[in-house]
Amino acid sequence: MENHMKITISALSENEAFARSAVAAFCIPLKPTVDEINEIKTAVSEAVTNAIVHAYRGGEGEIILTAWYDTSGVLHMEIIDQGKGIPSVEEAMQPFFTTGAEEERSGMGFTIMRSFTDGLEVLSTPGEGTVVRMQKRIGTAAGDVK
Amino acid sequence: MELRYHVGADGLYLFFDGELDEYSASFVREKVDALIFQHLTLSKVVFDLGGLSFMDSTGVGVILGRYKKYAKFLRFYIRNPSPAVSRVLGMGGIYDMIPLCG
Repeated sequence: MENHMKITISALSENEAFARSAVAAFCIPLKPTVDEINEIKTAVSEAVTNAIVHAYRGGEGEIILTAWYDTSGVLHMEIIDQGKGIPSVEEAMQPFFTTGAEEERSGMGFTIMRSFTDGLEVLSTPGEGTVVRMQKRIGTAAGDVK
Repeated sequence: MELRYHVGADGLYLFFDGELDEYSASFVREKVDALIFQHLTLSKVVFDLGGLSFMDSTGVGVILGRYKKYAKFLRFYIRNPSPAVSRVLGMGGIYDMIPLCG
């Protein structure tokens, strides 16, 4: 079975809870554990926050949130923006690196995304936008055969 | 996100209720700063996170920001984080600066 979803949201922090819940609800058929749901919600929240706060600098913009899975039990997620982009992805992904120190930003977003998922890929073109891709195997504790 | 407070004999107790993310961050930041300012004679502030159902790294930034701002005058503690919240706090290095208390 293949399943996918695609949502476009305004780049507003009001939508962070919605984005988290949407992806969490979408993967329910994979029978995630409570921990896995928390991890997915947090990872999605980090990526969406980056798009709102950094890509669009708090201004107007849209974020595309997609997720899909097949019988392999791996959930794929993509968070796409058309914001300012990241000059150096390698630099941005260093723990505690932030361009928002003035705003009390912890610089932990990518670290959390990487820790809470099984794979993180970030593609970015300055001036055009950023794609954040994550994968996570779900329901490893369930023991069910689908 | 709601923030209640209780002034105990030994300090200011702040009870977080809801989700702490970018959307609620500025509200929490302003309210915590206002409450601390109103109770500067107290030397201890406890963040009771028992009612926090979600927190991402934005919340880490808010808590860390309060610590950096007031650590010279106040001792901070964290109480009752859920396992999920505690994990995010730990990854942000919060426990190196703000201890857990019972």
